[in-house]
Amino acid sequence: MTGNDKDKAPKRMAVDARNSTDGPDDASAQPATKPETSMSPALQDHIGRQVRAVFDSVADEPVPEHLLRLLKDLDQSGEN
Amino acid sequence: MARTVSPGLRDSLVAQIGNLRAFAVSLCGDRERADDLVQETLFKAWNHLDSFQEGTNLKAWLFTILRNTYFSERRRKKREVEDVDGTYAARLSSRPEQHGHMDMRDFEEALTDLPDDQREALILVGAAGFSYEEAAEISGCAIGTIKSRVNRARRRLADALRFDEQDEGASDTPTPSLPKTKSA
Repeated sequence: MTGNDKDKAPKRMAVDARNSTDGPDDASAQPATKPETSMSPALQDHIGRQVRAVFDSVADEPVPEHLLRLLKDLDQSGEN
Repeated sequence: MARTVSPGLRDSLVAQIGNLRAFAVSLCGDRERADDLVQETLFKAWNHLDSFQEGTNLKAWLFTILRNTYFSERRRKKREVEDVDGTYAARLSSRPEQHGHMDMRDFEEALTDLPDDQREALILVGAAGFSYEEAAEISGCAIGTIKSRVNRARRRLADALRFDEQDEGASDTPTPSLPKTKSA
């Protein structure tokens, strides 16, 4: 409840963010039992939706002409 | 050499282009480069269609080609020009703390800021619809590794989002993960 809290919190966040990059990458030894931490299902859903939205925004675009043409060309060169 | 590709297989290939583009953009963060990557992937795939067993997972096969193409190219470029990713690194370190409403654009940036391996795993499992097992095969690592990467990616994004949740209404300095004090 003191003014100090205010200063500490953002600093701690910044440190956390940096550390998590070089965390033990291959915790692969651990099976699926790793706890999902304290993330609420709502938050997890929210993240899931956002990730899909970002992905789908590109995936749902019309396919560029030159990529379609490439396949057509490859197809034809195979027939001859 | 004449190669006969069944129309069905060709159509399946075309049907995956959208997914491949989305995956490519998520990997390299650059749309133009992404399309080059997709083009190269389609070309390689076409020329190796005889090594693909029809009826198996075409999508996973294509994704594997694409990510391998991307990472081997990146390794090569890194050797040629040191710090191609200089700007990327700069953005990473100078990134201000998230504050205020996090919209899709902010989210995209947070996604971009994830370490490559975490972003890849999250996209494969969370957006492209692969199982952990398939994602592990595509990335050439253990299932446990994929799981931990996905978890870490989610946690990191959650940290960025949490600023949002708890900060609603506050005017300036964000005070994440602490009960709000009455006044500043």
